[in-house]
Amino acid sequence: MSSSTDFLASLPYFSMLGPEEIERIAGETLDRSYARGEVLFLEGEPCHGLYVVKSGSVRVFKSSPEGREQVLLIARQGDSFNDVPVFDGGSNPASASALESSVVHIIPVDTMLSMLADCPAARAIINLFATRLRHLTTVIEDLSFRSVVSRLAKMLLSLAVVQGGASPVPRLTQDEMANIIGSVRDVVGRALRTLERAGAIKLEGQRIMVIDPEKLREMT
Amino acid sequence: MAVPEINLDICTGCGDCVEFCPSGTVTLVNGKACIVRPEDCNYCSDCETFCPPKAIRCPFEIILVENGQTGEVNG
Repeated sequence: MSSSTDFLASLPYFSMLGPEEIERIAGETLDRSYARGEVLFLEGEPCHGLYVVKSGSVRVFKSSPEGREQVLLIARQGDSFNDVPVFDGGSNPASASALESSVVHIIPVDTMLSMLADCPAARAIINLFATRLRHLTTVIEDLSFRSVVSRLAKMLLSLAVVQGGASPVPRLTQDEMANIIGSVRDVVGRALRTLERAGAIKLEGQRIMVIDPEKLREMT
Repeated sequence: MAVPEINLDICTGCGDCVEFCPSGTVTLVNGKACIVRPEDCNYCSDCETFCPPKAIRCPFEIILVENGQTGEVNG
């Protein structure tokens, strides 16, 4: 066995595989070197595969439009990252850059999925987990980068439905809204009034009327 | 006109909702909170805020208004 094969065999992802399968995966795996600060990939780009740090360390992070960053993971030797898009088929949910001179293995998407070819049930389950993990990444992004007003606007946009339509009208207390967006009811109450003053919503008794969805979208 | 929802199984009859209701809508009837003047309720949700055992809920309907219409059949 080569050193790469031994390294891959030591990873949790491949711990159940036999030597022949590990050899095949090693043969399809790419090695890339990155200088300190160099970007491996960007959020929103197509996924090239599962990344595993062979040496060095890599920072996986989300960026806000204003340039703020939220680090999701510092991946060190043996750690994998960019797992989500490999298994849900979407784009990269975060960006990655080298914290120091680093070498990574890139295991192509098709190679990773080939391990699940004989078990569509497992593929479906892992796809579901990946989708949920991507959603949690979005939650972290919202909590890190968005104000309460912005988070509330986003939540109202996602929940509001036409009365009498196919979906039932959601009913939430201010406490429940606060729990969803990670805030407290007093702040939610003030945020609702901010949205109303901006002309995006209208508070009418027990109703929160989304009267200008475009304005609300601008405030997310 | 919607009014706050009171769970009588949870209500302890402490009277905080009566004290804090700005429109005098709530009172105690047989030791439990009761909305006695629903037409005066402005749905401020103060009763929900101050209810110690969380027996009162003031849920809001989240409605999308399309072209000025709520989708209601009768307004």
